[in-house]
Amino acid sequence: MTSPQQLLADEVRVAYDRQVVLDGVTLSVGRGETVGLRGPSGCGKSTLVRVLALLHRPDGGQVSIDGTPVTGVRYAVPVGLRTRVAVLFQSPRAAADPRLSLTDLIAEPLRAVRAPEPGVRERVAELADLVGLTPDLLTRRPHAVSDGQLQRACLARALVHRPDYLLCDEATAMLDASTQAHVAAVIADYQRAQNAGVLVITHDEALMGRWADRIVDLAGAVTAPAR
Amino acid sequence: MADLAARRALPRPLRSRLRPRRAGVVTAGLVLIVAVGGALLAPIVWPLDQSAVALDQTRLAPSWSHLGGTDDLGRDVAHRAVYGLRVSLLVGAVAALVATVIGGLIGGIAGTLGGRVDRVLMRIVDTIAALPHLLLGIFIVAMLRPSLGAVIASVGLTHWLSTARIVRSELLSLRTRTFVDAAISGGAGRGRVLVRHLLPHVLPRLALATTLMIPHAVWHETALSFLGLGLPPHLASLGNMISDGEGSLLTGAWWASLVPGAVIVVVTLAIAVLAARWRDRLDPRVRAELQL
Amino acid sequence: MTTTQPATTPTRPADSQQSPLLSVERLGVRFRLRDAVVHAVTDLSLTVRAGELLAVVGESGCGKSVLAHALLGLLPDNATVTGRALLHQPDTEPVDLVSCGQRHLARQVRGRRIGLVPQSPATALNPVRTGRRLLGETLRAHGRERAQADRLAADVGLDPADLDRYPHELSGGMAQRLVTALALATDPPLLIADEPTTGLDRPLVDHTLDLLRRRCDAGAAVVLITHDLAAARRVADTVAVMYASRVVEHRDGGEFFAAPTHPYAAALLDALPGRAFRPVPGHPPMLTALPTGCAFAPRCPRRTDTCEGRPEPTSAGGGTVECHHPILPGAAP
Repeated sequence: MTSPQQLLADEVRVAYDRQVVLDGVTLSVGRGETVGLRGPSGCGKSTLVRVLALLHRPDGGQVSIDGTPVTGVRYAVPVGLRTRVAVLFQSPRAAADPRLSLTDLIAEPLRAVRAPEPGVRERVAELADLVGLTPDLLTRRPHAVSDGQLQRACLARALVHRPDYLLCDEATAMLDASTQAHVAAVIADYQRAQNAGVLVITHDEALMGRWADRIVDLAGAVTAPAR
Repeated sequence: MADLAARRALPRPLRSRLRPRRAGVVTAGLVLIVAVGGALLAPIVWPLDQSAVALDQTRLAPSWSHLGGTDDLGRDVAHRAVYGLRVSLLVGAVAALVATVIGGLIGGIAGTLGGRVDRVLMRIVDTIAALPHLLLGIFIVAMLRPSLGAVIASVGLTHWLSTARIVRSELLSLRTRTFVDAAISGGAGRGRVLVRHLLPHVLPRLALATTLMIPHAVWHETALSFLGLGLPPHLASLGNMISDGEGSLLTGAWWASLVPGAVIVVVTLAIAVLAARWRDRLDPRVRAELQL
Repeated sequence: MTTTQPATTPTRPADSQQSPLLSVERLGVRFRLRDAVVHAVTDLSLTVRAGELLAVVGESGCGKSVLAHALLGLLPDNATVTGRALLHQPDTEPVDLVSCGQRHLARQVRGRRIGLVPQSPATALNPVRTGRRLLGETLRAHGRERAQADRLAADVGLDPADLDRYPHELSGGMAQRLVTALALATDPPLLIADEPTTGLDRPLVDHTLDLLRRRCDAGAAVVLITHDLAAARRVADTVAVMYASRVVEHRDGGEFFAAPTHPYAAALLDALPGRAFRPVPGHPPMLTALPTGCAFAPRCPRRTDTCEGRPEPTSAGGGTVECHHPILPGAAP
């Protein structure tokens, strides 16, 4: 029996204290497809991304990758499984360790799994070129580059392990039009080459329509007042 | 008033006014160089016989031959103040280091493990913090014999609480940062995250906390000595000197207490100014502004 | 949520006859670094009239935020500002924001004549005061009733109950709305909003933009600094495109989005997902090493040898454009 090639959140339930954020949500992202996820602010989109990224333990339901259920969360997930799902976060500033240069930022996931150093350097150079980072930028630290440049570095970092699934949580909201189009193009190229599944969260209807093959509305378990 | 209100709504650069001015930082640096240099070199360039007295020269006012005057036993106040500073700085530095090691370990364990361990450790910290520092310090000295080691233990064992709290809260807030999530997602293990992403952020703060603690430790030692619980009375320490000079104050010999008092104020102030400057440089927002 | 009817109003031509509120002439801002000089703003000239909403758009790092800070005298010590920025006032002589000095800016300009919605609200809020106190103090300092705080909060889409929270208890979007309310509390004739919609989701973005639009319709002027072209399109009367520290195109908003004249502006609009969704090829130059000629030439499909020289601002289609080969309406593409 062949297992389905998909990242699946099955009947996932998450509550913070008593407030239920996700109540029995099921979402699948198949290999090669781009799923758009939309819903009002506070409906749990970011929480769902963290659950799918194996960073947050759901209170009910489970996540499976290509039919294999994932037990545990964060450090408890085997590295080989963890690195198959990558996340591109909304704020590159928050997602980048301010002490690392962009080179080290991109190389860090490889070094974390003890990849041999010459290979690391080669891969960093290749990815930096792919996302459009020039060598003079690579030696700088996050505070010395713009949000757009930093998000490109974060994209390179997300792709460094060649993940099968990439989750983009409002990842282009704070980028200018040109950088947004470039980031989207890089992700689309990667998706074709790797046959990767991509989840896109955005409030921008035009971007959603342009990018997603299939759009899922997350109504939200709680009708939080739009703030 | 309008200015103040408007300023609150405006971004950071205006706050640069509040940072210590360069002249203040330079002065503090010079004071500290002179103080530490003097304390280190004193036994070589200006030896002191701790037990010598000169009963024919008691309570002389400050003059060119006795810059700080003499006390009721005819001892040169300025000379003894240098040696007192030596003791104070030694006690201050070593005690601050002891406090940092204890506080760093406790705070580190609480902040990394979190949960129940964190709750238990922090309740212990709260309990100790509820007792007055000095009282606890006196209790510790009383259990040991008055000596340099006892004073250091007294200061070190009472001052680690704030360090533990700083390290713990820093670690707890770092743990939830998105870049830690990104590292985990990239395949980093617990140890890698600790060494690569958490400790490098905590260590500078820890070093800063140590530096800021030195003035506290010096004052604590002075207070113990003033109460007669510090070093043996014939040894020069700033606290002993202030305490000894107390009797002379009534006879008008203000210098016997004031000179060591002034030394401690100036030196601890200098350390605090430099530490404040350092703290500003650690703040990445200010740092970015300094560079661009 | 409150009303979100289309915000652009047809009352523009009357406004354009008014005298300018702010006229910036050949403004330049340089930062000295240890080993380089950053040219953040070069030869920038703009005017803003009462009732006008000017959107300054461009890629990140093009110098648009520095422009805002330069006008308010909020640059760090290593910055050098040249040129003039005249703020016209109804009853007195115009004041030059570049040369009038910090004291004058602090007492007479900031908050009173020019309000600022800063880009990073987290660092702009006093952490030990609740939103209500911050707002109340600002209102009182400007001779208004403290009681207006609730109404101001509601205006920016903030639940008045949230005013009793401290800044660290606010989400990024809530803090953003609080600084917007603070900037509006003084009711300044000119408001500079530096990325005021950061961290807000779409309905709130639209709400905030409409709020700015209504200020202009009531006679105030707004300079909206944003990377979001859709935002600019929604509310702007005029658009200034910044590229590599210069304003390369400045003209009426409607005409701009219909037919940009500068090749860079055209390429930037083409990057929108609703259009070609094609990034501008190449990279912007570093502000430490700007070319002597046209800064966009290396990325430009229309470049020729003349682009080695600096293009002068010329008027084209009712606005100005700095290009040797502008895309003129009616001409073949």
